Amino acid sequence: MVYVDEIDVDQEGIAEMTLDENSIAQVARPGTSLRQATAKKHEGPSPAVRPVTQSGRPLTGFVRPGTQSGRPGTMEQAIRTPRTAHTARPITSASGRYIRLGTASMLTNPDGPFINLSRLNLSKYAHSPNLAKTLFEYIFHHENDVKNALELAALATENAQFKDWWWKVQLGKCYYRLGLFREAENQFKSALAHQDMVDTFLYLGKVYARMDQPLTALSMYKQGLDRFPKEVTLLCAVARIHEEMNNLTSATEYYKELLKQDNTHVEAIACIGSNHFYTDQPEIALRFYRRLLQMGVYNCELFNNLGLCCFYAQQYDMILTSFERALSLAENDEEVAEVWYNLGHVAVGIGDLNLAYQCFKLTLANNNDHAEAYNNLAVLEMRKNHVEQARALLQTSAALAPHMYEPHFNFACLSDKIGDLQSSYVAAQKSEAAFPDHVETQQLLEKLRQHFAMI
Amino acid sequence: MSSSADCSREGESSKWLDAHYDPVAGLNTFSSCIALADLHGDGDFKMVAGDIGSGPFNMKLKVYKGTSLMSENALLDMPTGVAAFLMDQNEPRTPAVAVASGPFIYVYKNLRPYFKFTLPALEINPLEKEVWDQAKEDKIDPLTLKEMLDGIRDKAEIPLSVRSLRFLMLEQQEMEAFVNTYKQLPLKRQVGLPSVPALLDVNGQYDIEYRITVACRNGNIYILRRDSKRPKYCIELSTQVVGMVRVQKNIIIGTSQEILLGYSQKGKRLWTVTLPAPIMTMALLEQKSRSIQAVLVGLKNLEVHLYRDKNLLSVISTPDIVTSLCFGRYGREDDTLIMTTQGGGLIIKILKRTAHFEDKDTAPGPPTGQSIKLNVPKKTKLYVDQTLRERENAVAMHRVFQMDLYRLRLSAARAYVKALDASLAPVSSTMQEPLTLNAAVQGIGPRFKLILNLQNTSVNRPSMQLLISFLYDEQLYRLRPAFFKVPLLVPGLNYPIETFVDCCTDKGISDIIKVFVLREGKSTPLLTAHINMPVSEGLVAG
Repeated sequence: MVYVDEIDVDQEGIAEMTLDENSIAQVARPGTSLRQATAKKHEGPSPAVRPVTQSGRPLTGFVRPGTQSGRPGTMEQAIRTPRTAHTARPITSASGRYIRLGTASMLTNPDGPFINLSRLNLSKYAHSPNLAKTLFEYIFHHENDVKNALELAALATENAQFKDWWWKVQLGKCYYRLGLFREAENQFKSALAHQDMVDTFLYLGKVYARMDQPLTALSMYKQGLDRFPKEVTLLCAVARIHEEMNNLTSATEYYKELLKQDNTHVEAIACIGSNHFYTDQPEIALRFYRRLLQMGVYNCELFNNLGLCCFYAQQYDMILTSFERALSLAENDEEVAEVWYNLGHVAVGIGDLNLAYQCFKLTLANNNDHAEAYNNLAVLEMRKNHVEQARALLQTSAALAPHMYEPHFNFACLSDKIGDLQSSYVAAQKSEAAFPDHVETQQLLEKLRQHFAMI
Repeated sequence: MSSSADCSREGESSKWLDAHYDPVAGLNTFSSCIALADLHGDGDFKMVAGDIGSGPFNMKLKVYKGTSLMSENALLDMPTGVAAFLMDQNEPRTPAVAVASGPFIYVYKNLRPYFKFTLPALEINPLEKEVWDQAKEDKIDPLTLKEMLDGIRDKAEIPLSVRSLRFLMLEQQEMEAFVNTYKQLPLKRQVGLPSVPALLDVNGQYDIEYRITVACRNGNIYILRRDSKRPKYCIELSTQVVGMVRVQKNIIIGTSQEILLGYSQKGKRLWTVTLPAPIMTMALLEQKSRSIQAVLVGLKNLEVHLYRDKNLLSVISTPDIVTSLCFGRYGREDDTLIMTTQGGGLIIKILKRTAHFEDKDTAPGPPTGQSIKLNVPKKTKLYVDQTLRERENAVAMHRVFQMDLYRLRLSAARAYVKALDASLAPVSSTMQEPLTLNAAVQGIGPRFKLILNLQNTSVNRPSMQLLISFLYDEQLYRLRPAFFKVPLLVPGLNYPIETFVDCCTDKGISDIIKVFVLREGKSTPLLTAHINMPVSEGLVAG
């Protein structure tokens, strides 16, 4: 039987995101929300150095649910399938993967369900504590029937005179699944009053994160850390919150603290590695990725990163072998596309534009939605003076990834060059919205404004 | 940085008192249409504002007393200027209000219409008049008329009227109609300037000596004097003038390029200041008790800047974009600043009597960017070790790299050829049919929307006779039309083609759908796009 790690992060569904009734302020004060347009102010590396996700948040070093796409601005973005995620957003987090678990268990039992829940006398089982706990776990995890699980938990906690912290935590879990965050918060807090548990702190932090109160979540985790000093899962949770709030320096500090406790924590190693890579220290990033390799992680992504680190740290003998290994380890077209994309960058770096062109084309052949490759290909076409092709490619790129500033800026430059000042201005404004501090965009806008003001 | 900004903000609040703010006063006006006057001779100054209303309707002359509206008079036309002046020597000395609108000046006395004054036409060239008189009596044909007018234009002392100038610009066949239309009307000369005036400033006395400064729509500023018929001085700017204020003997000009310029009376440029945002309006601040004269500049970034010469004295933050400014005595308070906003709001602020403006040079020393330290990470020991390794094994590393590079080139070329042969890429590389294809999937299932964006990237050749077909697992998906024709593709336009895909499995698995763009009569595709279908959520949830 497969257990889902309940305390781990889960992705918000479309329904929760668009019909959110828990958020208090439409426009939260800066630094107090996970969902604001983070493109405004960048603490860490600028998007010119470190690529960003759809929501304008720097890419993380470790793919978790929710790190890929962030909160969508429009309904269209919400229902579009994000790149590198294999499913569109779940409708609600109550459906999706949990339901699929339920159906998967049903498929394995063609004779019908193991226990018929509708015939169960829940109040009878609630009186025998040991059986009730097992039954609850079966209903909650295997059958995924939150309503019955809640009923059983309510009866059982009543039977235990509201003194058993375990049942309170289970009640909280049920409420959380049902989206009743305030009730869940009450149950978890009440459970904490009986018994300090790491899990309970984590659940509570998760509730606050879902209610978009990252600062409360952080203080909750701190409280947990006071009680359980240097607890790995709590440190990891704190680091994740910092990362989501764009505070990469403190996220890295927490990850480092975590590594002191558990030096095989893959997520921490990967995140610190990518952070070093994007802050211009590829040689250190290389060390971290090598550590991952030593630990037995052996996949396409890792070799991809190793190859890039070698390239930027000038260890030329290792670059292409790493990428070759990555290509041979790639499991699907998307991974192949990423390898070719990075090889394209290497080719640009060594000045072989012909090879770069082929690499970017191969990226597109393997992954048709690779917006960055479209953009780079357009730049190469622009160099060949193929204006129409470049324009079409840039338009495609901008349509695929409206959060990237590069296609908008390149389109603005191209339009400016051929004298179409109006489109240049429009595109430059979009680029400015995606990356307000981009100096070249500002200069172009300034130039265009002067043009327009001139008689 | 932030603390100093806070300091200056505190300084602002200690200089200005917020007297009144009404965001819904419904007052839409410009700086030239506001005047402060003691209308009843009782020492209580009122504000007279020509409200432009909402477009061509509801134009009103409004009078405010204190914080409330005292009276309203309807105006016939859009007001362009409002001024209060003393008409007579009678006691009590109550000023009349003049409102300029269209070619008329309406004078109100005791807030009642008193008389209307029509701007007189300027004298016209006698030769020109004679020529037109002849045309009126059909003595000359349009061609001769044109020749004669041309001759007058070249020599004459008094410039031609607008009508003659327009006539000279016309094509031959249009001349006749023009002459027939206009020959009956009396001739007028209205413009003595080379261009349409936009802003005016007058000082001096009419009988003795005066100066009129005119900013025109062609971006030039002309300075006229009493005894000259033509502009005495001319300032040529490269941009439109949006505001002009005279401070003592200098002229301060705001242009549409976010620049404030100072000129002397003779048209010599004295200084230039670059502003942070476009200028909305400008007005003069004159504090008589301290004999301070400065310029108020309303900016688009919700700020009002106060400049004395090129020095920024004070910054006032406003809740909305300010469209008009007026400073002077209002009510019984000497130094009142009246602002109206874009949303029709009215803001009244009072300058504290203790307020003291300090001249600060706006650009002292090097720019602030110079002192910001860049966050450059230190080179680590690891890096040094690696460079050592690089130095020692340079030859070997280079050889390995070159060999790998050759192999990479070969494998890339092979993969590329393979992709080309099968037309796997979504960008076609043939010169005959330059196309790009991009597919997107929307939805959560079981019915997905497939959007194919097809674009012809050739310069001027439309694409015709193209077909689209799909390749998919029939057990998993159902596509309604799985094969259809593409319309003619005009170069440069994006053609979104939409179709629906039904997922007919409930096992929670997904597959790839391939899209081919084909040319009629050929089996090899021009383009291929692979769509990774998402897992259908709808079926399992429902």
